[in-house]
Amino acid sequence: MPVEAKILFWPAATVAAYLLCRALYRRRPGWQTSPLLTTPVVLILLAVALHASYGDYLLGSHWLMAMVGPLTVAFALPIYDQRAVIRRHWLPLAVGVAVGSLIAVASGYALARALDLAPELRQSLLPRSVTMPFAMNVSGHVGGLPELTAVFVMITGVVGAALGDLLLKLLPLRSSMARGALFGMGAHGAGVAKAREVGAEEGSVAGLVMILAGLANVAVAPALIMTLG
Amino acid sequence: MPRRILLSSQRILHRSRLVQLGLIVGFWWLGDAAVRAIGLPVPGGVIGMLLMLGLLLARGIGPCSVRRGADVLLGDMLLFFVPAVMGLLDHGEFLGLLGAKIFLLILVGTLLVMAGTALTVELVQRLMARSGADHAR
Repeated sequence: MPVEAKILFWPAATVAAYLLCRALYRRRPGWQTSPLLTTPVVLILLAVALHASYGDYLLGSHWLMAMVGPLTVAFALPIYDQRAVIRRHWLPLAVGVAVGSLIAVASGYALARALDLAPELRQSLLPRSVTMPFAMNVSGHVGGLPELTAVFVMITGVVGAALGDLLLKLLPLRSSMARGALFGMGAHGAGVAKAREVGAEEGSVAGLVMILAGLANVAVAPALIMTLG
Repeated sequence: MPRRILLSSQRILHRSRLVQLGLIVGFWWLGDAAVRAIGLPVPGGVIGMLLMLGLLLARGIGPCSVRRGADVLLGDMLLFFVPAVMGLLDHGEFLGLLGAKIFLLILVGTLLVMAGTALTVELVQRLMARSGADHAR
């Protein structure tokens, strides 16, 4: 394929595949049909068939990836909308985000050591529980590879959305705050979608926890990585 | 006359998704420029977000001026994550044992994170409810 064709083809294919996968998800919602899982699968099969590399793909698609910056800015609006909830429930929210982030980083680090993974992989795995724009930023800062982190974040979201239902049945959770925090902290975007199905309050708490966890991780990541080494 | 221009430009701002998107990109650009100028260890998007949140709270801008634009980005945010996930193309090594190890790590780690977070929040909520009841007594 000539360069000009690559520049036009891959972003167009990405948007088309995404729209198709989104339509499928709307018809049959579930973790298996999450567009975050299905869209890359379709595109990777296509890329393998066309012998395209990641470099070829990025030629025309990097601007789509750059939209993650403005997307981060857009999160100001849901935080603003939820300011009353934050004011009322700041203590459980703060404790939940702090404990959840600590478990995420500590479990990632300990398990990566136990499984004997390379340091580069280990650093890329640390911010996996955080929503994508924040995770990719943290990863770059702590010596991981942002595109690897993106893959791990995606898998975490899909796995978390699938595990969440099971955990809701097993754990004695009476408060909607706890149920929302479970999804927002464990499965970020995919979890928020799931939490919305459980209940409106669960959904908004999950969204809030997801954003706060992202911010908290961006804030403490540099200090954390210095202590973990 | 200037008042009318102001009003009609405000109407465009409240109705047009494209103009609102431009405004949000502008915040990001400002945040990015600030990060570069000062050398902050935080991504530009986060600074842009804090900037916009601060202006919303200070009533410098109304939520209507950014809601449609933000909804476009937030509603289809998964699309913007796809290019990064395509990085897998350069990592064929994940197809074997390494991939299985990573999957195991993510599975166990996510279980711990979800259960730990939910139980902690539940505990805090119950403690607060009990101390609230004590105060009432």
